[in-house]
Amino acid sequence: MFLLLPFDSLIVNLLGISLTVLFTLLLVFIIVPAIFGVSFGIRKLYMKTLLKIFAWATLRMERGAKEKNHQLYKPYTNGIIAKDPTSLEEEIKEIRRSGSSKALDNTPEFELSDIFYFCRKGMETIMDDEVTKRFSAEELESWNLLSRTNYNFQYISLRLTVLWGLGVLIRYCFLLPLRIALAFTGISLLVVGTTMVGYLPHGRFKEFLSKHVHLMCYRICVRALTAIITYHDRKNRPRNGGICVANHTSPIDVIILASDGYYAMVGQVHGGLMGVIQRAMVKACPHVWFERSEVKDRHLVAKRLTEHVQDKSKLPILIFPEGTCINNTSVMMFKKGSFEIGATVYPVAIKYDPQFGDAFWNSSKYGMVTYLLRMMTSWAIVCSVWYLPPMTRETDEGAVQFANRVKSAIARQGGLVDLLWDGGLKREKVKDTFKEEQQKLYSKMIVGNHEDRSRS
Amino acid sequence: MGAAHSASEEVRELVGKTGFSSDQIEQLHRRFKQLSGDQPTIRKENFNNVPDLELNPIRSKIVRAFFDNRNLRKGPSGLADEINFEDFLTIMSYFRPIDIAMDEEQVQLCRKEKLRFLFHMYDSDSDGRITLEEYRNVVEELLSGNPHIEKESARSIADGAMMEAASVCVGQMEPDQVYEGITFDDFLKIWQGIDIETKMHVRFLNVETMALCH
Repeated sequence: MFLLLPFDSLIVNLLGISLTVLFTLLLVFIIVPAIFGVSFGIRKLYMKTLLKIFAWATLRMERGAKEKNHQLYKPYTNGIIAKDPTSLEEEIKEIRRSGSSKALDNTPEFELSDIFYFCRKGMETIMDDEVTKRFSAEELESWNLLSRTNYNFQYISLRLTVLWGLGVLIRYCFLLPLRIALAFTGISLLVVGTTMVGYLPHGRFKEFLSKHVHLMCYRICVRALTAIITYHDRKNRPRNGGICVANHTSPIDVIILASDGYYAMVGQVHGGLMGVIQRAMVKACPHVWFERSEVKDRHLVAKRLTEHVQDKSKLPILIFPEGTCINNTSVMMFKKGSFEIGATVYPVAIKYDPQFGDAFWNSSKYGMVTYLLRMMTSWAIVCSVWYLPPMTRETDEGAVQFANRVKSAIARQGGLVDLLWDGGLKREKVKDTFKEEQQKLYSKMIVGNHEDRSRS
Repeated sequence: MGAAHSASEEVRELVGKTGFSSDQIEQLHRRFKQLSGDQPTIRKENFNNVPDLELNPIRSKIVRAFFDNRNLRKGPSGLADEINFEDFLTIMSYFRPIDIAMDEEQVQLCRKEKLRFLFHMYDSDSDGRITLEEYRNVVEELLSGNPHIEKESARSIADGAMMEAASVCVGQMEPDQVYEGITFDDFLKIWQGIDIETKMHVRFLNVETMALCH
């Protein structure tokens, strides 16, 4: 025991010094720039270095695989079958034409061959359907040294394993504690700051301070995730009295957008830590939080949002109309609620680069805490944000058409696929109204013509 | 790496049995795992996970076809409770495109198999004949989505179509002759000389490997 003493104090001293150094570095290089909104460019440098390492790693794997004659790449597929873009009517006419050389008149009736079309379509959907593809994380073609994305690379040499091990060490022992410390700082500053600002009397000064407290804390959180964000077209940023609409991939979307603009959030009141944050935030500036019971009442929600939007002094609302997290390869149906209000809509497209860390939150697979841990142990989160020019609803346009128009604009800008399907399909089944469409069309074809025939 | 070897053995076996290429088999295997939720077999309920299939009016007939013992070549009738990947591929192989490299005899065989698959879809009680009832059943299902069509019109459509089929198979009938139903041979007769099997296939995309681009 006595022999340990001199070593003991040495270790304690070393620990103390390293912690102080760490915190000073933290303060100088990360928190202070966050407060003022400047950047040293450390993250960009980090990103470039990582890219070089990934390229080297993939080259090594290619070389290694060639030596051992293994197949390295998984074939690239965006769907495995070629689906015909012809419509129901055309196809059935064609089948009948090829089937019965006798009846080339234009009054087709039901024939044995009609079943071919539906049978084939059924088989095609069983083999490959659009919707289920969207709810699994995007697959990469090169390996980013994270074992969680290693789906296809079986051959890994010793050097690469060492590199991967080093990566694990860096990510879990250095980056993770750093990020947790930053996140902690960011959140506590947010809570404390907004509560303090809440005590001030209403006025310009309060507004100014509130805005900067929010921005500062979100910026710290951005650094806590090592998010490297590129903003495009910042001149189109949302203004007061408008609604900002974006595609949803993960809860981090909120932090990404809010670190570049001052928004009013919309959401359900939560308990626990989230609840504390929400209550603090609402003291400094008016966010729109709904009780759980109120969320079901669509009219109430619409009314409160309309009130907020009509007050020009209030901030633009941030809404994610998809209603759930999508894996960032496509944009699903936008729920029409936010488009019925009649305010100017500012669409925003967010596209993540999956090479550094997959930001998609598969809520059926991971809980919130697991997800955040995964985010904090990835290399970085790289994304691009495009601010699109504002859109308003035309006089003869329905809410649904307007929503679809906005959705297409976002999908086009972000390079995502525009899908008509409902994000809610992740959990529920297809609505009956959709089922009727195809069947109505087919039955119209047969019955309409049958009536003609029986009449004649 | 040991696991990889035995897997490729199986794949080669399946290539021989079903005629799919090894790439296609791997893709279908992934799809199978997705549908079955990583289980080794699929049951009828697993097909509920395909939202697009809900739109199909003959959905239940298609799903049933997967478990039909006649299609699985396991017996003359009845339904299996669950199918494994090999069975899945067997059913899928009915929809393989006709290979240009095939000779006349193979093409005829292929065509017969495809038409037999369809015949089984109509002939739900496995008695080898498509009776009027079964025909009506199919028409009703195809028109089931439309609430405006009454059962009567669906029936009359089916009756009309059945009469036409009878005239092709049996020729002119006596007024009190009862047409028992379409047998498989009659079924083939209806489609004789007509290139219908080209419509009954699903085209696989030609998959190419993507190179790293930097």
